[in-house]
Parts: sequence; structure tokens; C-alpha cells
Amino acid sequence: MPMVFRPTASGLMTLAAATALLLLVALPVVFILAQAVFPEFARGSLEGAFSRLNLIFEDARLLGQTRNTLLLAASVMLGCLVFGLPIGILRGLCHIPGARVWDVVFLIPFLIPPFIAAIAWMMTLQPRGYLWQIAGFDMGRQLFTFAGVAFVMTLNLFPLVYFAVSRSLEGVGGRFAAAARVSGAGPVRAFLLITLPLSVPGIAASLLIVFAMSIEEFGTPAALASRTGFEVLVTGIYTRLSDFPIDLNGAALGSVILMALVLAAFFVQNWVATRRSYVAQTGKPANLDKARLGVWTAPVLLLFTLVAMIGVVIPLAAIVATSFMGTIAGGLSWDNFDTRHYQPIFRAGSRAAQALVTSGWLAVLTAFLTAAIAAAVAVVVVRGQGRGRQAMDALSVLPNAIPAIVLAVGVILAWNSPFLPVTLYGTTAILLVAYAAILLPYPIRYAVARLRQIGGSLDDAARVAGASQAQTLGHVLLPLMAPSLIAAMMLVFAIASRELVASIMLAPAGVRTVGTFVFAQFEQGSVQTGMAMSTIAIVITSSILLAVNLWLARQGGSAFSG
Amino acid sequence: MLRPLTLAATLAAGLLPVAALAQTLTVYTAGPGGLADAMAEAFEAETGIRVDVFQGTTGQVMARLEAEESNPQADVVVSASWGSALDLYERGLLMEYVSPNAETVPDFLKHTHYVAQGISALAIAWNTDSGTPRPEDWSDLAAEDFRDLVTMPDPAQSGSAFDLIVGLEAARGEDAWDLLAALADNQMIVPGPNAAALNPVLQGAKAAVFGAVDYISFGRAEQGEPVEVIVPESGTVIAPRPMMILASAANAEAAQAFVDFTLSEAGQTLVADTFLMPARTDIEGRRPGIEALTVIEVDADAASARRDEIIARFNQVTGR
Repeated sequence: MPMVFRPTASGLMTLAAATALLLLVALPVVFILAQAVFPEFARGSLEGAFSRLNLIFEDARLLGQTRNTLLLAASVMLGCLVFGLPIGILRGLCHIPGARVWDVVFLIPFLIPPFIAAIAWMMTLQPRGYLWQIAGFDMGRQLFTFAGVAFVMTLNLFPLVYFAVSRSLEGVGGRFAAAARVSGAGPVRAFLLITLPLSVPGIAASLLIVFAMSIEEFGTPAALASRTGFEVLVTGIYTRLSDFPIDLNGAALGSVILMALVLAAFFVQNWVATRRSYVAQTGKPANLDKARLGVWTAPVLLLFTLVAMIGVVIPLAAIVATSFMGTIAGGLSWDNFDTRHYQPIFRAGSRAAQALVTSGWLAVLTAFLTAAIAAAVAVVVVRGQGRGRQAMDALSVLPNAIPAIVLAVGVILAWNSPFLPVTLYGTTAILLVAYAAILLPYPIRYAVARLRQIGGSLDDAARVAGASQAQTLGHVLLPLMAPSLIAAMMLVFAIASRELVASIMLAPAGVRTVGTFVFAQFEQGSVQTGMAMSTIAIVITSSILLAVNLWLARQGGSAFSG
Repeated sequence: MLRPLTLAATLAAGLLPVAALAQTLTVYTAGPGGLADAMAEAFEAETGIRVDVFQGTTGQVMARLEAEESNPQADVVVSASWGSALDLYERGLLMEYVSPNAETVPDFLKHTHYVAQGISALAIAWNTDSGTPRPEDWSDLAAEDFRDLVTMPDPAQSGSAFDLIVGLEAARGEDAWDLLAALADNQMIVPGPNAAALNPVLQGAKAAVFGAVDYISFGRAEQGEPVEVIVPESGTVIAPRPMMILASAANAEAAQAFVDFTLSEAGQTLVADTFLMPARTDIEGRRPGIEALTVIEVDADAASARRDEIIARFNQVTGR
């Protein structure tokens, strides 16, 4: 790596990014570890240190949950490759009619809260469900199994692979492949030997996120797994925390296992990504000519349609249909069409309207905050040098390793301590703190992977041309990173706007988010109102994302192309 | 409880909760969610005191109280489990208060430190369109007609389902466990808390809930769902919902005013509107009252001491 930054400037940036990471991520982790080591830590006692750590290797229930978690995550990774890889490759290398529309379509699964998607699938496939009402048979037996849980989770996550693969292939550009073609390689050979290996970091990064997200996913196992007697670490931790009497130590132990699993996955991915150079953008204009599909247009479109049907249309249709049902028992019939479950939401000043506003603001703020931190972290990690770089590299790994539920526990432990002179606990701001920490991995992964593809020679050129460090950053690096950062921000916005686990545990009294409102509807209110709220939230969020994407298109770029 | 710096930090974050400004009261409550909001609004309209509500399951409410033990946030707590009030009382966390409005609340539903807000009973919720014969007693659900068609709330997550097991054990002894085993043999599922058990019955995937919380089912029936609430004559348990003021309450006066309001005629009518039985005997409910039920007495204290044992046995008997 060329030395670009003077120590002072990079030092300043390192300091800012490190402070953010320490406060948002390291602090809760330290409290979790302390709670795992000292069972009485929350009560201010250090007695019985290490007395229960052995449970990690001995407690049969914890071990079973760990095994289930790993099995599930592995299956979901495999499933996401099956669902996401083919369409991702096609999208990255070929002219797909309506490419931008497909991008928006495949963003929709992120907008559907996993908990809602699981309930939608349940109402579709269980006996007398929508499938039975339409086609006369049900698939309840298949849904309430391990494979069923993995299937539903795959549908929530496969777009991660689709976007990472297509963006990474576009980023790699046709230039190397073109060079290979000039040297006599056929198109398939060029793809297999050049383009695909160069996009390995992108694919590996997306698989890591799939792995991390499936082991920390709460909604799907919570809705489906209890029916299958299939307990994972996250539901175990949640049970320990939400059932009285709560078991903070047990939750902390489960959290430590979760963190260890994700850290291990991260190091595997990092090893794949850094053992070679993947610099693919050096400033020369890339040849962005994509392959024409020709006679293959129809089959490829059929494949996209099929994936969209299963991944997007069916769950979405089930959600919308349910929200318009007078009674659940009335089923899919026009007599049963009723808009009355929307009324409590549209009532002026209703709790639902407040929840929408709260979630909207939180999601926007989270997107900007995480993108700013991620940009700084990426520049330090990829371009920096010396001790600051190493420390930051290690710190930037941390957010990946922290499942939302663990972070929420850590935030409670850390921010609710009576010894703090200042605390955000009990205010809405604590949700921003939690969301930012939970969602940091996306922008950091995207920004780092992107920056690795941007050759250092560009910085050097700018510096030789007389630009200051700040100018180099502002006029060269940031614009080049912008597409990835914006894509990450849209993801962050989409997920933050319907975040559930941390919101349930941290939202102060009187504050409701979309996630907690919907969850409460299923617990206590009406299923239809819960689905109505989800529908409204999905429509609003996807409109915003569509608008941003269209605006970007007019600026001549796309959030999803390199 | 409120620290000046908390406010400053919040302002800095640009996310000012109104909570920090006016006179406010923080209420942690188990469902029904609509009742908590309606009560808060009515109370605010009458007194000008703003109410911030956290609403969750009893387990969530109690867990939050425990997690915040070193830095309590709540003033008033409404739980759905009588035993939890006793537990908080014994740990010295409650403030003594007897509301003047509690006069017509029966003695067994009040205590020096807590009082019932409303009462629910446990019942069979039966889908009348399911094509199954109308169940009369708990044991009917173990019959061949209901094979693979019964759900039950998880006693680990639903305090009332836990109470039902304790009650059946008190009334029937070992037969209660045999019944649960027979239900498990009959492919009964235990999908989660109350709503998770009821929803499959609404769509018709299952036919009946063993141990449904009655007011939720009455509410669904009023919305037009084909659900009938059947209380077996052999007896069921009731779940009074204790309301209490924490000793750490920052604003004791407002907290007492809230308890008074909940027990006022206006407050009890709101309770009745959710199909709970009002705690006051002089307020009419919108469904059959306690006098229409065969109530099995439950020793809440002894039961909560045996909680772990009972749940473990339930899991073992039902093969979970």
C-alpha cells in the first residue's frame, strides 16, 4: 500500500472513527463479556468470577442451540447461493431488460420484516391457508420443519448475494475479461478464470453477512421454530431475557458463543479477501459493455420472474391480502374485503402514525451516521498504515460479530448503569445508538470491499497533481466510494425502518417503532392491523428507495452498479 | 429519576421525547394494548398528566423491571399474573396504596400494595366452522375428533397458561398431567404465547385452543371471527391483573391518581370494553362475570415457587 496520508491527518480520522466504534460497539461488548465472566455483574458484584463459563461447553441446551444455529446458517448460506448467485451473475454481466426494476424488486425482501414474512408464509401454507383456499392443498408439513425455517430465512436474505455478486461483477468490469478475450480465451473461460475469481471478495463478503444475519435472525425462528421444536441461540437468549425470572448470565454466555461464531466466519472471509490483490479499478475507463442475451432473453426473464414470485410476490401478496380481510376465517373472498383494519392507523395522531414517524427519522439518521463512520473506517483500514490501521482493522471486525440481540443486552447493561453521569437510556436516542451499532457492518463491508478495488495509484495521481489530502479524499476517493456507500445506506435505511429485536428491548415507554407496533398487534391487537401497518411501511420505504434510485439514475449512476 | 444531563444529551441527539418536559407518568403494562392506550389518553385528558406506556407480555414487563433494577424507569406496573405482584411485594419493590375507588373490589382481588385492574378467565376457544363437535370439557380436546387440531399457549411465555396447569393440577392431581400427555399424544402444538396459539384457530388450520385467554377471543368474536369461548363446567382458573405502584416511583401522587382513575367508573368501563371482567363488582362487564364460572382456587405463592419444576414437567410430558 502506498503511503498517502500524513500521520496527523490519518491520526485524526482514526481517532474519530475509533471513538465511534468504541462507544457504539466496544462498550456494550465489554459489558457482555463482564456479565459472562462475573454472574453478579449487573448487581455490581464481582463474586463468582468464571464460575459459570464452563457452561458454554457443558450445558446441553446451549450446545444444542449452537449446533442448530450452525446447521441453520449453513443451510441458509447454501440456499442464498442457489437463489441469489445465478441471477446475480446474469445481472452483473448481461443486459437484463428492466434491470433497474429488478433491482428494486429484489430490495423488497429487506423491507418485509422477517417476522411478518414468516407469518405470511404460515398463513399461506398451513392447513386451510391461502394455498389451500386457491389450489386445494396445503404444505404445512413442509413449512414446520427445519427445511421450512431455512427456506423462509433464505427468502429474506438471498438479495444480499444478488446485489453483492452483480455489483462486484460490474465493478470488476469487462476490462480484464476483454484482455483475456483478446488473448484468445472464450467467453466462458474468461468468466471462469478472470471475472469470477476477481469478484470473490464481494461474494465472500455477502456470504459472511448472510451467515451473520442467519445466526442472529430472530423473527423467523421465533415465528416458526417453536412449532418445530427447533431452538437456536437467538431465541434462547431472547427467552432468557424476556421470561421472568430473567437470566442475564445465561444470555451473556449465549451471546459470547454467537460472537465467537461470527468472528470465526469473519476471519475466513477476510482471509479469502486479503490473501491476493483484487484491485480492478485503476482509473482507466472500464469497458462496461455487457453481453447481449439474444435468444436467451426469454428463459432468463423467466428465471428472474420465478425467483421474484417466490421471494417477493407470494409473501407480499399474503401480507396485503391479510390486511384487507374483514375476518381471518372469511379467507380469500371478495365478500370478506374490508378496509376497516386500516382505520386505527390513519386516525390522526394515532400511535401507529407516531410509530411511522419515529421509525422514519431513526432510519434516516442511522443511514447517514453509519455511512459517515464506515467511510472513515474504510479509509483508515485500507489506506492507513502503522498502529492506527491495525487497531482499526481489529475494531472494524467487531460490529460484524455482534448480533442485534446481544448488542441490545450490552446496551442495557452499559447505558443503564447508575454510575453514569450521562445516559441516553430511556430516550429515543438509545435506539439510534443501537441501530447504528447493529447496522454498521453493511456500510463498513461495502466501503472496505469497494476501496480495495480502487487502486492506490489514483490517490497518488491526485497528490502528484497537487491536491491536498482532504481534496484527494473529497474529490477522488469519496466519489468513487459513493455508489457503494449509497447502496449500503439504502440497505441500512430499509432494515432500520423495521428493526424489531433491539426496539422491543430498548424503546423507552411511550415510544413506538414500526417493528414494536406490528409485533404488539400480533400479540394483543389484530393480525390484520399488524399486516396493514406492515403494508403501509413497505409502501413508504420502497417509494423512498425507488425515488432515490431514480434520482441516482438521472445522475448517471446506480446505487447498485460499481 | 430524570437527570438534567439526560435531557441535554437527548436534545443534542435531536430526538427530544416530550416525556422529559411536562409532568409525566411511566406505566409498564401487559396487554391488551388498546386498553393501555385508551386509559392513558383518558387519564391525560382528565388530569393533564402525560402517560408514557410500555406494553408487552407479562414476561417482557417483568424482565424489563429486573434489567432496570439499578435504575428504575417505571412508576406504575400492570401485570397479567397475580403471582408477579406478590413477588415484587416480597422483594420490597412496591409502594403501599389503597385506592378509595377500590371499595367495591372484592377482598380477594386487593392487597395493601396492589389491586386488580380487571380479570380474565381461561377457556377453550373453539372455531365454530371447524366441523368438529362443540367441546364441553378440557378432556374433550384429547379425543380423536380433535386429533392434530388443538393448540395451547406456552406456559413458559403465557402466565395464564401456567396458572391453568397449576389450577388443573390442584383440581385433578395427577390426572391433570395425564390429560396433558393425552393432548400431546393427540398432536397438540404449543406454538408460543397466547396470540400464536389463537391465530391458527382463526384461519382454521386448527380447531381449538386449550387454555385461551378469554377476553382476546371475545374480542375476535366481536370482529366477526367464528370463535366461541367455552368455559368448562368442571372449572377453570381466573387471572386477575394486578396493578401496583413501584416504591421507586418518581411521582407518587400522579401514580396514585392513575390507580384511582383506572378504578373509577370511567376507567372500569374502559376495562369492560376490552371484554375483561371489571375488578369492581358494581360495574357491569360485557361478558359473563365471575359468578357464572366454576373457579379453581390457585395458591399463587406456592405455584410460583414451583415454576421451574412445573414448566420442566410440562415440557417433558408434551415431548418438547
